Amino acid sequence: MQLIKRLSLASRLALLFAACTAVVSLLAGVLFNQASEAHFIELDQQQLDNKLITLRSTLQGVDSAKSFAQREAQLRAELNRQPDLALRITAAGQRWFDTAPSVSLPAAPGLHSLQNAGTDYRVYNAPLMAGLPDSPQLSLMLDITHHQHFLQRMQRLIWLTVGLSALATALLGAWAARSGLRPLRRMGEVAAGVSAHSLTQRLPQQHMPVELAELAQAFNAMLGRLDDAFQRLSAFSADIAHELRTPLSNLLTQTQVILTQPRPLEDYREALHSNLEELQWMAQLVNDMLYLAKADHGLLMPKREPLVLTDEVEALLEFYALLAEDARVSLIREGSAQTSGDRCMLRRALSNLLDNALRFTPAGGEVRVRLAQGARGVTLTVENTGDGIPAELLPRLFDRFYRADPARHEGSSEHAGLGLAITQSIVRAHGGRIYCESAAGWTRFVIELPS
Amino acid sequence: MKLLIVEDQPKTGHYLRQGLAEAGFTTELVADGTTGQHLALTGDYDLLILDVMLPGRDGWQILQAVRSAGLEIPVLFLTARDAVEERVHGLELGADDYLIKPFAFSELLARVRSLLRRGSSTPQETALQLADLRLDLIRRRVERDGQRIDLTAKEFSLLELLLRRQGEVLPKSLIASQVWDMNFDSDTNIIEVAIRRLRLKVDDPFPTKLIHTVRGMGYVLEERCN
Repeated sequence: MQLIKRLSLASRLALLFAACTAVVSLLAGVLFNQASEAHFIELDQQQLDNKLITLRSTLQGVDSAKSFAQREAQLRAELNRQPDLALRITAAGQRWFDTAPSVSLPAAPGLHSLQNAGTDYRVYNAPLMAGLPDSPQLSLMLDITHHQHFLQRMQRLIWLTVGLSALATALLGAWAARSGLRPLRRMGEVAAGVSAHSLTQRLPQQHMPVELAELAQAFNAMLGRLDDAFQRLSAFSADIAHELRTPLSNLLTQTQVILTQPRPLEDYREALHSNLEELQWMAQLVNDMLYLAKADHGLLMPKREPLVLTDEVEALLEFYALLAEDARVSLIREGSAQTSGDRCMLRRALSNLLDNALRFTPAGGEVRVRLAQGARGVTLTVENTGDGIPAELLPRLFDRFYRADPARHEGSSEHAGLGLAITQSIVRAHGGRIYCESAAGWTRFVIELPS
Repeated sequence: MKLLIVEDQPKTGHYLRQGLAEAGFTTELVADGTTGQHLALTGDYDLLILDVMLPGRDGWQILQAVRSAGLEIPVLFLTARDAVEERVHGLELGADDYLIKPFAFSELLARVRSLLRRGSSTPQETALQLADLRLDLIRRRVERDGQRIDLTAKEFSLLELLLRRQGEVLPKSLIASQVWDMNFDSDTNIIEVAIRRLRLKVDDPFPTKLIHTVRGMGYVLEERCN
């Protein structure tokens, strides 16, 4: 069993081909064999019928042992002309005549086959006078050894054909399978060559047979996704290093400069305060990254408490009211909805969107939160007025450390561009999805949560 | 107030002890779990601050020993691991609160004070006062120097929090949590705006300022000389 499981695809196919050919040729052979046998029986029957007619005419009128004795010489002469025929005549339990070997012959009328001492016979029982119940019985015995020899030769030929054709198809099949599976091997080679450094390799889809084209396409798509995820991941590590480098170098330089010479107490305090700000920013960054890492490892397990989203949004809008008022942006809620989810996580997700929206809404604009309860779940949109986001930037918005506004100076107290990534993680942990739409004059983030 | 800190990292332990001592607590610091458990069971402490990863016995084991000895001391956990299971684990075992490293000292101090206050029942207050600032909890009115100050509901809650915990530095996260019920790392300057608004009404018209910013840590309401 183990061996069969581990056989190569080409060997399997070759074996299968061989088995198929063997079965087909065996079937053909058996059919031919049977047809020949039936044909021989028919021939023998005809021959025996003819002989029976001759014998009947020779023995015409014989109804007793006495009248038989008169014709015996004539019968023997007749039989001498037919060396492959033996005859036994029985009447009322007595044997009148017997040239057959001493074997018991089948008693029933009609055609029978019999084997005796290495010779095959066809036995034909018939009454001497058709229609008379107590007529003497003739048993004709025809030697058919030559037929049997022919059949045996034929069977040997059949077996030989079966064996040879199976072998031939196994070899041809192996060759055909090997060349047929060449694209698969090429796929294997490409797959073997894939590593973190060469995710850009792709299978040549147009040269693939139809059956493999789909697989190749799926394989290429997988490589594409891996490549994309890997690019993002490596960019992420590079970004982390970059994000940490600035505050770290600030800390190092400042602390070293402060320590190079004695200073008034106030200077030390100022330096420590400044360090504290950098450190807090770094701590926030580390916490955010841990949160994302936890989400990546599927450890973000939201509670499922019933939530009236209307109330949650109201609470958040109240929280952001001061900030909005300062920025002269109006906050509006429309619609209502309820769902089940993690209050704290969803508040965080929404607050990132609101924070984001407020930051990009010009004075006099508005941020509108829409809630809609659908059949399949809840849709929550946060829409703000202001310059739209170019379409080519939309897919990148949820990338880590991505900032739509590169002018933002590093090390400020703002999120390090992880807010939307965190929001996306939270929405995904709830089984939902988030996307962004934008056009001239407005930007809209849409969260869809399944119910 | 006597506190026991069980923390094996010398630097963290040292700064925790110094900070808590300067905040007016009597503190004892041990670096291994076995001694920590012994002291927790025999000493008469008001609060335990336990690190999770400890040599000897870990934080969970100490907590279990303390709880099975029938001691009701509040326990604050410090953990570097931010796994959901751990939080559940800790709170099921009877930890009262936890902080994930890295945390701000002001946050720790605020939590310690909350935990210590939880046990003592404060008499039902009808008014809170600091210097010439007076907050009437029943009529929900605020007066300073005899002048009535009109506050919004949130401003009132904020001032009430500052007054209840006067002299304590309140981190922004604690204010967001207590006043707006926002319990996540909200990194906005909403609290700054709220404090600025409150100052506009409570401090600006008067010569003595009561609300003070402690840079990088939070806000405190107290009467300062000069």
